[in-house]
Amino acid sequence: MEEKLVPVVCPYCGVGCRLYIKSLDGYPRGIEYAKDIPGISNENGKLCPKGNAVLEYLLAKDRLKKPLKATEQGKFVEISWSEAIKEVAERLRAYSKDDPNAMMFFGSARTFNEPNYLIQKLARMLGTNNVDHCARLCHSSTVSGLKAVFGAGAMTNTYKDIEEANVIFIIGHNYAETHPVGFRYVLKAKERGAKVIVADPRFTRTAWFADIFLQHYPGTDIALLNGMMHVIIKENLYDEDFVMRRCVGFDELARTVEKFTPEYVEKITGVPAELIVQAARTFATAGKGVITWAMGLTQHTHGHDNVRLAATLSAICGYQGKEGCGVSPMRGQNNVQGACDLGVLPNVFPGYQAVTDPEKRKFFEEFWGVELSGEVGLTVIEAAHAIEKGKVKAYYIMGENPVISDANTNHVLKALQKLEFMVVQDIVPTPTMEFADIVLPAAAMLENEGSLTNTERRVQWSFQALNPPGEARPDWWIVSEIGKAAGFSGDGARGFRYTSPEDILREINACTPQYGGITPERLKSNLAGIHWPCPSEDHPGTRVLYKERFLTPDGKAHLAAVDYRGPAEVPDEEYPFLLTTVRYVGHYHTLTMTGRSKALVKRWPEPLAEIHPEDAERLGIKTGDWIKIETKRGAYPVRAKVTRTVKKGVIAVPWHWGANVLTNDALDPVSKIPETKACACRIAKISEEEARELMKAVPKVIPEFEVVKG
Amino acid sequence: MARKTIFIDFSKCIECRACEVACEREHNGRSFINVFEWQEMAAMALNCRHCEKAPCVEVCPTNALYRDEDGAVLLAPQKCIGCLMCGIVCPFGIPELDVLDKIMMKCDLCSHRRAEGKLPACVETCPTDALLFGDFNDIQRMRRREFTEKAIEIAKKGERISLRAL
Repeated sequence: MEEKLVPVVCPYCGVGCRLYIKSLDGYPRGIEYAKDIPGISNENGKLCPKGNAVLEYLLAKDRLKKPLKATEQGKFVEISWSEAIKEVAERLRAYSKDDPNAMMFFGSARTFNEPNYLIQKLARMLGTNNVDHCARLCHSSTVSGLKAVFGAGAMTNTYKDIEEANVIFIIGHNYAETHPVGFRYVLKAKERGAKVIVADPRFTRTAWFADIFLQHYPGTDIALLNGMMHVIIKENLYDEDFVMRRCVGFDELARTVEKFTPEYVEKITGVPAELIVQAARTFATAGKGVITWAMGLTQHTHGHDNVRLAATLSAICGYQGKEGCGVSPMRGQNNVQGACDLGVLPNVFPGYQAVTDPEKRKFFEEFWGVELSGEVGLTVIEAAHAIEKGKVKAYYIMGENPVISDANTNHVLKALQKLEFMVVQDIVPTPTMEFADIVLPAAAMLENEGSLTNTERRVQWSFQALNPPGEARPDWWIVSEIGKAAGFSGDGARGFRYTSPEDILREINACTPQYGGITPERLKSNLAGIHWPCPSEDHPGTRVLYKERFLTPDGKAHLAAVDYRGPAEVPDEEYPFLLTTVRYVGHYHTLTMTGRSKALVKRWPEPLAEIHPEDAERLGIKTGDWIKIETKRGAYPVRAKVTRTVKKGVIAVPWHWGANVLTNDALDPVSKIPETKACACRIAKISEEEARELMKAVPKVIPEFEVVKG
Repeated sequence: MARKTIFIDFSKCIECRACEVACEREHNGRSFINVFEWQEMAAMALNCRHCEKAPCVEVCPTNALYRDEDGAVLLAPQKCIGCLMCGIVCPFGIPELDVLDKIMMKCDLCSHRRAEGKLPACVETCPTDALLFGDFNDIQRMRRREFTEKAIEIAKKGERISLRAL
């Protein structure tokens, strides 16, 4: 027995930090900081609180250890792997013969590239493009918006460029809390003299470090961005040469933003006109600028347009295609970029090759040896609506938790109940498991190996540090066994006969142009990873995109001209407050991991709804009081925190604990992202007993299920 | 002998509390550094200052508190009688009582990590370098240098502006 230091990638956010696990015979002995690896995204091995607590959830007592079969809703009996795989494969096969579009597959940004590639391959070989994942709920508008303007839906630069920028415009992104290690580069830039502009409805920890802080109302981003562009164009601060050479659509943009004078924008957004002018001047004249955003910009019914405008702002200032510049959508999961790249989306094959393009389809038909559907599939939220109409009957969920993560939980619950067949593949029991027919226990990320793509398009290899508990198996193994059992037993790319994740990555190299040269051998010998696009094995990878031309068909940036649209639901007499959702630095998404981590739960034990002192006084609410937040879709009990971080009339509530019972599932028409960041609500003070009563209707984030041992 | 300690740059703290979680992991579930939020405007981390004239060391009746070669104030558990005197005289309220073992406990600047040539866990993990470990005077010299470099940079920019104005 010897203690080993195994280099892994942190399983939490999109920064993709490297760390070492101290492993003794497959058991964790602790972690060590990856100080000695140069060029990684977390320089000097820095880690945030989640990264520091990375071992705790792995040791949770309720880890899934055996495949389970439901006897009735929420009650399970243990079965063997062979039974589980046979049943899943038979059922999927039957749907595939009947109507392949009755199946919906969920990939996962929480697992490696290889299983994600396999799940979309399985879905498509079974005849449907109904495959999606949680990027739909976070950055689908980034993918569609950036694709529309620049031709590819990814961060155009790296953290190094944020460090080198002269101005950093952070909009709808609580950088310090969501990506603490990435925020390091903002502070380094600031120390060098860079200016930081923060636009957020809340005075967040990120805003503490702002030189200019713009506090706009949730959902008024279009007006704010148009207002800034109005000033930049009017004062002739834009990069004329860049706009002439590399952009189209400038005249229309200039016409559209004409009416967005700072005074007009002040009326909509609540941001003082002079601050808008100051922000616009500071941004446009800095010489090198980066725009970063996250959920605050994307999770709107106009998320697609928000992103196009942010990209347009960057383009007219000439902040594209050079070092120290660019747009940086910050991804939430450590492999959400990878899952998108590898085609876990209903409209594209791996490498963003459209399913509607007959040429690309032909390539994959020959590559996989089956006929493929050219019909664009369903997205996450659309699928839930399709269940109600009886169109979708089966779900295969790999590592997702739609009950907590999807907007309008009550609707999701109703829909899931109607499903005929549901498979959940996960590492721990989730509220989604309640509706599962078959549960497949998966190995966690640190318990198996594969490649991951972080927010900077950096592909890294994470090695296996620990042994999975019980009979839990790697995701790639589970999906390939199901693929084989479903009858796809051909050789090479034509089947699912894989012996290791390396085999799968080699297949990805062969069919995904951006990943062409990112071989397992290269990744294993270079721990800092490779930035895609990397078309061939001798290619070093690409740090900054669009140096010569954009990836649009004509090679130019297509500037967006968008008129103002507010949130789908605005406050009225009945629901007078504007609700927005937020998160905590110590918790992660649906709490499946951090909720099982003692050190984190101790520090962030419960959600606190933020309310402005004046509103609180009017309603007689003090910090610590229980309140009921109510929207047209549901009610949520939570304790209040009276604070000036929010504007008057705005309520902010962390969504980790199930606040999505409140949120609006109205969709962006292009990206199909639900508007979880703004909706109308009302609040009332309630007693603790009433709160407890209301709590019963909210799904438990850490559920317990009855399991009969097999 | 150079005394090494943790320098806390409050202006860089983002209240992520990574230091607390790292400390807790390294010290069997107890964190000896705490981050406090100040009126939702700033945060400050605070750990044992390992004072030059440490009142806790001076008052300890059993000499359980002592200084190691890096200058860290450490506690010899076998000598501690849990009289709480160190905690009472500490102006920062640092020493705490371990009720199970009936002895005091406090920040040891990760002596187990320093023995392996590594930094204390809180410093190693701090995402924004708000925590620095080293000789206090060295750190101060570095800060002075950084300040003057920045001042020169600003002066240079000012020169350019005035030249253009001419």
